[in-house]
Amino acid sequence: MFSKKSNESEENSSENSQNQYPEFTPEPVVESEPAAYEGSSNRINPTKPSIISEGFEFVGTITSDGVLNISGVIKGKVTAKSVLIDSTGLVEGELFSDQVMVKGKVLGDINCDELNIGPLAEVDGSVSYDSVHIQRGGKIKGHFIKK
Amino acid sequence: MVEANQSGCLFVGEGVVLKGNFAVPDIASVSGVVEGDLSAKQVIVESTGLIRGKVTAESVDIRGEVAEHLTASRSLIIRSSGKVGGSVHYAEIEIEKGGTLHGDLHLI
Repeated sequence: MFSKKSNESEENSSENSQNQYPEFTPEPVVESEPAAYEGSSNRINPTKPSIISEGFEFVGTITSDGVLNISGVIKGKVTAKSVLIDSTGLVEGELFSDQVMVKGKVLGDINCDELNIGPLAEVDGSVSYDSVHIQRGGKIKGHFIKK
Repeated sequence: MVEANQSGCLFVGEGVVLKGNFAVPDIASVSGVVEGDLSAKQVIVESTGLIRGKVTAESVDIRGEVAEHLTASRSLIIRSSGKVGGSVHYAEIEIEKGGTLHGDLHLI
């Protein structure tokens, strides 16, 4: 599971590979992945996402250099390269990320470069962004600042 | 684009500067500059358009710029070239990628 047989096999065992997650991902966060991601192995981003599953509640700070999928609840500060908040997901607290896709709920401030808000999403808080796309129906309250 | 001779409509052509408060029963299409308050059933701000003042409408479609205050009681669309500043009240919102929003957002 940990030694992923990817195309970049020369990077496979090297410690300095950026996206190998033992170095970066907090252990309690990682849960086993559903088949949805294994099936689409030809995705552009080969990084395995860290997943907060539905029904999982995490209180504290999460820091990751990779992708974070949130279907459960996070109360606290989240920092990651890319964050996906699924329709069942909730983040209560600060969110720092390059890329954020919100399909669920965020109560708190978002600081990101690229923000994508889905039609059923709810955002309440101050948002600082570089590029934003809000799909029709997204419910957003708060202060918007373009960086 | 709105035909200029439709009844109940306001059409502000490119290069035109309007100052004052305007109540438009139907569609207001702005390609020029409006300085003042504008209320209409539907407001369309074209890419060369700029409204400096309070905009109140059922639906608002922005390719240009709206500064200060905006209320859209039904739908608000900010296109990729659109810029909105100030406080915004809306019932339903859509922002295309590239659209700019700088200010407070309130859900009606």
